[in-house]
Amino acid sequence: MSMNYSGDSLLGMFLFETTQLLEQLEESILNTEHTSSFTQEDINEIFRIMHTIKGSAAMMQYHNVSKLAHALEDLFDYLRSEENVEIDYSALTDLVFANVDFINEQIGKIEEGATEDDDATELINANRDFLAKIKNEDKGQSSSGEANASGNGKAGDGLQAEKNANFKYSYKATIYFSEGCEMENIRAFGIINNLEEVAGDIKHIPEDLMASEAAEEIKSSGFRFVFNSNCTYVDIHQLLMQTIFLKELELEQVDTSGEAKSDSKTLEANQSQASNVEKNQEATMASDVKKGQEDTTRQKQAQRQRPNLTHQSIISVPVEKLDKLMDLMGEFVISEAMVTQNPDLVGLELPNFEKSALQLKKITKELQEVVMSIRMVPLSATFNKMKRIVRDMGKKLDKEVTLTILGEETEVDKNIIEHISDPLMHLVRNALDHGLETKEDRIKAGKPAVGNIKLEAKNVGSDVLIIVQDDGKGINKDSIIRKAKEKGLLKRPVESMSDKDIFNLILLPGFSTNENVTEYSGRGVGMDVVTKGIEAIGGSVSIDSIEHVGTAFTMKIPLTLAIVDGMNVSVGESIYTIPTMNIKEFFKPVLEDIIIDPDKNEMVIVRGECYPILRLHNAFKVDTDVTDFEDGIFIIVKHDQHTICLFVDRLIGQQQIVVKALPEYILRSKRVKGLAGCTLLGDGSISLIIDVSGLNDLL
Amino acid sequence: MKNVLIVDDAAFMRMSIKMTLQKHGFNVVGEADNGKVAVEKYLELRPDLVTMDITMPEMTGIEALKEIVKNDPQANVIMVSAMGQEMLVKEAIISGAKSFVVKPFTEDTLIKVLDKFK
Repeated sequence: MSMNYSGDSLLGMFLFETTQLLEQLEESILNTEHTSSFTQEDINEIFRIMHTIKGSAAMMQYHNVSKLAHALEDLFDYLRSEENVEIDYSALTDLVFANVDFINEQIGKIEEGATEDDDATELINANRDFLAKIKNEDKGQSSSGEANASGNGKAGDGLQAEKNANFKYSYKATIYFSEGCEMENIRAFGIINNLEEVAGDIKHIPEDLMASEAAEEIKSSGFRFVFNSNCTYVDIHQLLMQTIFLKELELEQVDTSGEAKSDSKTLEANQSQASNVEKNQEATMASDVKKGQEDTTRQKQAQRQRPNLTHQSIISVPVEKLDKLMDLMGEFVISEAMVTQNPDLVGLELPNFEKSALQLKKITKELQEVVMSIRMVPLSATFNKMKRIVRDMGKKLDKEVTLTILGEETEVDKNIIEHISDPLMHLVRNALDHGLETKEDRIKAGKPAVGNIKLEAKNVGSDVLIIVQDDGKGINKDSIIRKAKEKGLLKRPVESMSDKDIFNLILLPGFSTNENVTEYSGRGVGMDVVTKGIEAIGGSVSIDSIEHVGTAFTMKIPLTLAIVDGMNVSVGESIYTIPTMNIKEFFKPVLEDIIIDPDKNEMVIVRGECYPILRLHNAFKVDTDVTDFEDGIFIIVKHDQHTICLFVDRLIGQQQIVVKALPEYILRSKRVKGLAGCTLLGDGSISLIIDVSGLNDLL
Repeated sequence: MKNVLIVDDAAFMRMSIKMTLQKHGFNVVGEADNGKVAVEKYLELRPDLVTMDITMPEMTGIEALKEIVKNDPQANVIMVSAMGQEMLVKEAIISGAKSFVVKPFTEDTLIKVLDKFK
């Protein structure tokens, strides 16, 4: 690596920035798709992004990525310099995406520890071919730079200083640059540019410094030049010695007759050619400057249209540090409770302590909110990935689709984002593949030929809902029931099942309604991947569908995992915590409202609704004296569509709790149903956190 | 210790230049991610040296260079260019850039250039 110290942080920055740039690039291309054309602004952006990746990758010694980016940069450089180029838009976007995918793949490999990038010759050639093709079609306008370069014949290989009455001395010099300084021709140009202040009649070899082979020539035979000046040898020597990357300087004063004092090997320079070159150079420079000006005006125009991007000063922080911070925050919340609810304080009157404790509590809460907010990431990046999937799949399946995205600014915890990406992708693919009909079928059904997929996120309480909705053919209930029967997945009589229950059969492992396994979905894994992924983060999935109208999958996910509000309740000696978000209400039981069915199932009627009662002491096999309903308390909890009435001994109080996983040895020995984890309470005792979604199975 | 302003739209390049400079006893006083900010920061910080990327959004390095030289003809601006940008580098030199490095450059290359202005 060229910069071989602190390589890790540099590499991290390289990966981070390149990924971001690629996302930005992908997004802007997808935004161009509805107009099927690139604006000057888009072209400039793609050019810049590739330029940056080229430079950074080269610095990191990923030469294949660098070369590939260079090839694409060249292509877009041509596009931005030539107006009115006829391009095949679709082919170009495909090509750019292929480039993006390749680089992304390399980034992935590098992240996993690969030290070298893969060969990209094939794609590089594809980029070059594309460029060659549009150049060919655009033959009418020839590039000015090339015309100039070809206009110069081979320069003579000798120089002679001219006599000039205005100058006292004539000099002849040869400069060699140190290896690896690059662009020797431009460095030579810099020397001449400096020299012009004190010298005149400057002539040099190679004559055309901007010619493509000039740099090579200087590398091999040095940069040779003659000039006249009034400065003394010492002054000139001093001036030239300041040249950066100077390896060797040969400077001699020649007498005014044109003969070098020591060297006689001079040939006549071709005067007419030299002046020709100058003219050409001027023309090139002029056109270059003009091009620059045009670029600026184009850029300015583009800026006006560009949405207001506020540049916040942002630093990137490794996620591990944030995780650590979150852990510490959890410990902090526990410690705060341990201090303010310390058993030693019971019965004491400590007004000043109470005041300070209140302040501590307030600050803890604020601190916690800030720590949480640091971890919050908008869903937009995840949603935008779907654009690409919809585009690619739509093309392959020959379905025209509009993807509408709503609420992409909704934020969720970084860890949760990682978990929903795959389920979301699965749902979107599913909607495209199985949900939407083919164009012909849509027209036959009297629907617009272009299908619609809506991706929506919204905050509901402490949850986020992510909805994937299509206007396709909907789900046929009968075929689901039939299939479920075939697979032996039907556990209850069909008559007792609601529409939702029937749709939810799709989410069971081993269920897949589509007979045709396609490339994108229905690969046998089925929708249970979605359920599993979402349940892993404490969320749930539900389905709504109307046949011939469409289907909506709703993923409900918690905003964050680590710290939740909970209600502590006691059962016998044990303490349980119920997440506040699940609690609907609690009340003292009234015996008249309780019904016992012939199977000895207990139920309670609340405002006309009947709910099953779950005695927590039975469910978790805890000894308690409170077994009569009158002595305890009822808590109505709700998860998804299921509402249960819990019977506990008494309420202790509400507090923020830090969710800790149950210890490994407990999980290993027995799968504990109905428990989500545990937490430490202020007095140092342990409370078990109830997993309301799992309670159903305990009834 | 010389004060340096680093101008590049790529955070990676800024970081890599910054690390090299700090290692070699330069004082990085500021960073800018486009030409416009670069000019503002130059006028505010008056650094001894500027490393200036060429291809940037909003305002290119060349435009920023011209703006800076207009305000301070003695400004020491070093262009950071890429292969293939010969024409732009040439324009930069005409416009008053003191020297340039070509990406990808090594630590030595960069320091060799900047040391001239120490």
